[in-house]
Amino acid sequence: MVAAVARRRGRADAGSSEGAGERALRVRGPRRAEASGIRDGGAVVRKRGIAIAEDKKPERLPGEGREPDAFEKEALSYLDALYRTALRMTKDPDEASDLVQETYIRALRFRHQFQPGTNLKAWLFRILTNTFINMYRRKASRPQFTDVEGLDEYVLYNKMAELRSPASGSDPEREVLDNLMDTEVKQALDDLPEHFRTAVLLADIEGFSYKEIADILHIPIGTVMSRLHRGRRFLQRRLYDYAKERGIGHGPRPAPQTAS
Amino acid sequence: MDCDDCLERLYQYLDKELTEGDVTVVKQHLDDCIGCSDHFVFEARFIKKVHDACAGDRAPFELRERIVLRLRGE
Repeated sequence: MVAAVARRRGRADAGSSEGAGERALRVRGPRRAEASGIRDGGAVVRKRGIAIAEDKKPERLPGEGREPDAFEKEALSYLDALYRTALRMTKDPDEASDLVQETYIRALRFRHQFQPGTNLKAWLFRILTNTFINMYRRKASRPQFTDVEGLDEYVLYNKMAELRSPASGSDPEREVLDNLMDTEVKQALDDLPEHFRTAVLLADIEGFSYKEIADILHIPIGTVMSRLHRGRRFLQRRLYDYAKERGIGHGPRPAPQTAS
Repeated sequence: MDCDDCLERLYQYLDKELTEGDVTVVKQHLDDCIGCSDHFVFEARFIKKVHDACAGDRAPFELRERIVLRLRGE
């Protein structure tokens, strides 16, 4: 959907400023011509790109299959990472696929803006999160879990530590983690408010640094820390609820305190 | 460094986002404090749990095919 809008816009721009564009291309030389050819997927612009490139070896003919270059190969190596992040962001496999496809379309269109030698994975995730915001922001009006009280605590650990009984040799902290299922962790992630969830996904699933996350999400590092740390605590609170429902960590009940 | 200072730096420590100086101080405290040390181990395992729950998810074959075709310019 976004691609379609962008393509239409691309054609309109190309149509209205064709004369000026041609002049600019002549003045600025072939590098500019290549960039504009790749940048716009619109038929008009692409045709113009080929016409300009006629005296050189054509770099990118539409419809002509070829092997991906180094940029494209590296970009493809992040497909699984982009998809699993998209899946947790959209909570829907079809929407995740659409989001990832749109991310690659944009990455190809704007690849001239990528500086070789810099972090391609982070660049692609930046496109992914921007695209997500553009495509799905309206849907974000779904009711969100907004109770963020008590997120200064390490809930899961503290609750489990309370249950620890040195006498019985029980280890509820270990038990609670060992018994959590992947589906429960995913469900708890899905329950996180979007801002917290994105920070946790980027840090804990994809291993990005605070600085990289700050660049990807266009937020200060202090905000990254706040969202990530609170997100993890929020997650723990949900997981504690699941554990409680299943009776994990409640091993032997404490003896009654009074006999009278 | 007391336990509160140490726990305040817990996530930054595990995320390898502390300065060298802070890392040394936190390590010293962890060597001396079994309570904090247990807690750090738990949180590290918790983060790994979250990672492992999702990190194995793969893109569907059909999506990979679509992307590859697009990358080839088809």
